[in-house]
Amino acid sequence: MSTQLTVEQKMTKTNKKDPLTLWYVFLVILLALGAVALAARVNGGLGTTNLTSSMPWGAWVSFYIYFVGMSAGAFLLSSLIHVFDMKHLRKVGRDATLVAIISMILALCFILLDLGRMDRFWHALWYGNITSVLAYEVRFYGIYIVLLLTELYFSLRHDLILQAKGDGLKAKIARLLKLGSKDATEEGRQKDWWMLKVLGGIGIPIAIFGVHGGTGLLFAVVKAQPYWNTALFPVIFVVSALVSGTALVTVIYIIRNWATGELVEQSLVKSLAGWMILFLVVDVGLQVFEILVGLYGLEHQEIATLFTIFTSRFSWSYWGVQLVIGVLIPILLYIISRTRNSTKGMLVAAIAVVIGILGVRFNIVIPALTVPVLPGLPTGYYFPTLVEWGTSLGVMGLGLLIYTVSARYLPMDTKANDIT
Amino acid sequence: MKKLTRRELLRNNFISTAHAAEKDETSKEPKWAMVIDLAKCIGCDTCTVACKSENRTPPGVTYNVVLTEEKGNYPNVKATHVPRPCMQCDRPPCAQVCPVKATYKMTNGITAIDYDRCIGCRYCIVACPYGARYFDFGGTYEQEMLAYDEVQAPEYGTQRGKRGSKNSPTSVTRKCHFCYHRLLRDEEPACVEVCLGDARYFGDLSNPNSIVSKLAKSPRAFYLKEEMGTHPRVIYLK
Repeated sequence: MSTQLTVEQKMTKTNKKDPLTLWYVFLVILLALGAVALAARVNGGLGTTNLTSSMPWGAWVSFYIYFVGMSAGAFLLSSLIHVFDMKHLRKVGRDATLVAIISMILALCFILLDLGRMDRFWHALWYGNITSVLAYEVRFYGIYIVLLLTELYFSLRHDLILQAKGDGLKAKIARLLKLGSKDATEEGRQKDWWMLKVLGGIGIPIAIFGVHGGTGLLFAVVKAQPYWNTALFPVIFVVSALVSGTALVTVIYIIRNWATGELVEQSLVKSLAGWMILFLVVDVGLQVFEILVGLYGLEHQEIATLFTIFTSRFSWSYWGVQLVIGVLIPILLYIISRTRNSTKGMLVAAIAVVIGILGVRFNIVIPALTVPVLPGLPTGYYFPTLVEWGTSLGVMGLGLLIYTVSARYLPMDTKANDIT
Repeated sequence: MKKLTRRELLRNNFISTAHAAEKDETSKEPKWAMVIDLAKCIGCDTCTVACKSENRTPPGVTYNVVLTEEKGNYPNVKATHVPRPCMQCDRPPCAQVCPVKATYKMTNGITAIDYDRCIGCRYCIVACPYGARYFDFGGTYEQEMLAYDEVQAPEYGTQRGKRGSKNSPTSVTRKCHFCYHRLLRDEEPACVEVCLGDARYFGDLSNPNSIVSKLAKSPRAFYLKEEMGTHPRVIYLK
């Protein structure tokens, strides 16, 4: 296993310090950075960003769709596991659900940051508009988070009851979170699994059509931006969500088990990576269709958008991040049998995909908006400011912190004998 | 003129009869429209300046712009000027996508923004095929223009006090509204009033005898991006 871990193990043995101390220091730095940037953002409004009226959406919106995608992807993975009884993948079910919840919280943080009037965020729920996709989305996000939390509860319930016995912080937290449930029998657990199946069954269409397909639809209905305005667009959103969600769950599963010194199941990693690569290939195929239809259409604005993606000074984010890191490297790593059969190899592949999809999200939002909608209007130019980067790092730090704390105090590990 | 409260404004907007009764010259409420004769436009940008001064728009917010496009190579160059206010579309994509109905169609044909409801998500800016919507980033001309912050334009007939006060339309989306506050006192929009070449006409499109109705039937008449299906209330003459 990694040398890092052996060093950590030595550290624990010699001075009994929490091996995660360094990690917590890192998270605190991220959060402090985020807090400073947030203060600047609240004080200065959107003037602290590099957004303009011709480039109205930028990094925050990109991160928002990135994390909505992560969430929907991770949730779909967990639901597929529950609904279709993919028993060999059940071990990552809880991780997937937790990742889905945290990603969704981050997505909402990003979209809150992006609102010109953060103080009016409640308007989005209080008022509505039957023709606005965004109005439906906001409500779907709410339903979805409740569903996710319920699902996490039922997947943890049995182990929470077991953990509640005894003293210490972990037991106290478990007593609080088990919500008074006492049924630790095998039948109770079977009932939980049935519940998970039902919740997953309800959740799959919500996640596909509501949460992530809907987020894609948000872009697809905008006729003013021909690059987004295709029916395939929401479909690509969902597929790329599956790609990034599966990748993130793989990363989290491997790293968490390394950090806790548990065994990483090689067959499980390989199976997850297989799904990830399958989704990735479908995703790339659909994107090729999308680009070809756009080019053949000879529509000025659409072609200008595609050329912005391919040839602008930020085209490295397409060729480098999106294609080389996000597609080429993971597929190569999966093809070569030595890396395919190594946990480290697949970890690198999964991390590459997680980074690559970030490129995908930025390239969805920004290039389309840099092209003026009428000849004579200014061409957009956008690169995020320090405030935008800082708040983004802070929000991601928040997510990592929530995950670390949850993974520490919740029974995230499904014991092998759980698998029936 | 009588100061309108927000409630009265909304009532006027939503209940056409109430508005018509107030106007009481005609039983029918006017449906405003603008005609811009491109053959008469000289590209002087006076409309842009008048609009900025009438609506006291901050830096980066220009309800009206004149888009100039040069075609051909020297010596065969031709420049076309297309003034672009908000099209006040009858099927506005902005109102379609607004999650809180902060932007909506008034019965008089104007597409309005409720500055007190807008959450600043900028979805409408993205959705507008004409780039007619601007986000107010909170900028000011105070450094260049004495007392710029002292008063804001009474857009939609609402007094909004000093710039930077609680009521200023900052961090929300703004756009042209055919100078609705001027229409309320029977004045035409500022850009129409100042146009040097008399290229702009303004009037009631529901009245078949109005000049805009007649010009709209001209064979020279066309709309910007007609294929968008937005049914603009700004009609151009070739």
